[in-house]
Amino acid sequence: MINVKDLHKSFGDLHILKGINETIEKGEKVVIVGPSGSGKSTFLRCLNLLETPTSGDIFFEGTNITKASTKEVNLLRQKMGMVFQHFNLFPHLTIKKNITLAPVKLGLMTKEEADATADRLLKKVGLADKAEQYPPQLSGGQKQRIAIARSLAMNPDVMLFDEPTSALDPEMVGEVLNLMKELADDGMTMVVVTHEMGFAREVASRVLSMDDGYIVEQNTPKEFFANPDSPRLREFLSKVL
Amino acid sequence: MDFFSDFAEKFYDNFIKDDRWRYLTDGLMNTLLITLFAVIIGLLLGFIIAIIRATHDKTGKLKVLNLISKVYLTVIRGTPVVVQLLIIYFVIFASVNIDKLFVAVLAFGLNSAAYVAEIVRSGIMSVDKGQFEAGSSLGLGYNQTMITIILPQAFKNILPALANEFIVLLKETSVSGYIAIADLTKGGDIIRSQTYEAFMPLIAVALIYLVIVMFLTFLVGKLERRLAKNDKR
Repeated sequence: MINVKDLHKSFGDLHILKGINETIEKGEKVVIVGPSGSGKSTFLRCLNLLETPTSGDIFFEGTNITKASTKEVNLLRQKMGMVFQHFNLFPHLTIKKNITLAPVKLGLMTKEEADATADRLLKKVGLADKAEQYPPQLSGGQKQRIAIARSLAMNPDVMLFDEPTSALDPEMVGEVLNLMKELADDGMTMVVVTHEMGFAREVASRVLSMDDGYIVEQNTPKEFFANPDSPRLREFLSKVL
Repeated sequence: MDFFSDFAEKFYDNFIKDDRWRYLTDGLMNTLLITLFAVIIGLLLGFIIAIIRATHDKTGKLKVLNLISKVYLTVIRGTPVVVQLLIIYFVIFASVNIDKLFVAVLAFGLNSAAYVAEIVRSGIMSVDKGQFEAGSSLGLGYNQTMITIILPQAFKNILPALANEFIVLLKETSVSGYIAIADLTKGGDIIRSQTYEAFMPLIAVALIYLVIVMFLTFLVGKLERRLAKNDKR
């Protein structure tokens, strides 16, 4: 589904990604872990071109998206949902409008269809009673669940999660992770950057470890946590587990 | 006693006699007219310039338009509005017979646009870049994201600053007399030239400006409080 070939990304003199090769299959739940500054968020943001790669190719469903036109990029982004660390809900719109804005503006649904979709998704994330409220009225965990619902409204083929629980108070992490687990059980293809090792262990089909711009290790979660190969990863895991 | 009878007499001379108060009311009408239409030009042109500049800053496109905008801002903000007014009237429209009010509206509108543009641009820049990314990640194009997500939030952030710009504009129109428009200030000055009495007409003019500005400031304050309340919801 996603095929990354020799991906490099630099910000000025700062070389963040130093050649990533990776294939993500349909239905996989890939969790990316690693220390801060290892390039995991940048890698994720390259997948839907929020960051433009310096060099390398990314194929999504057969199309080389690094060579795509702006129009094609917008179409591909409809198929790739993204959930941000800081939610990025639209504060001037009601919760329901947050969810229906994109499908309606992009002509994918009529307003009635979008409203019905929003109602269904709000029920799914357990926030049906918040439809007419505004984002600033919600707790962090609720905001993130709405952000997930907003992405789901586009019927994406894959969901990208960029540290979805890092900005949450500890007692709200669970509700978001549970929703993500549900998504995983529904068969959604997911790429998740996170520090939640419990989630990685339980949900991931594969865990990638990034360090200094490279993917240094990957394995099934069981092997990954039980027998880490590299000393760097062992050190990292001893700090976070 | 002397003072009061003196005051009443002067008041009569300056405002009642020969219907001189009409210089003030007619002048006020012109002042408000110029301000209103200049605000409209300033808003429209200012928004366009701001969007050109912000689009250039965000995407690197619109290089030529951005350069033109930058030159425009530099020239307009680098020269006094009176000079701009005089140049438009005596140089640009020198050989054309044109309504002076129109010239004033144009001059103050073009001037205000430069300041509005920078206010709006700062408003666009003040919206968290995550908002733009969220729009993009949903597949919305640049224009759609700008119109449905960024501009509504930017506009809300800058409403107080915009309102203040228009209060300043109202006062700046007092130089319209330079091209012989009988605005409020000129009206007071005409009375002065007829009665040889400076105190009454000029203080009256000042008071009228003051009352209007205080009223507008009051409205802005109310608006600001309402917007702040919305944020706390």
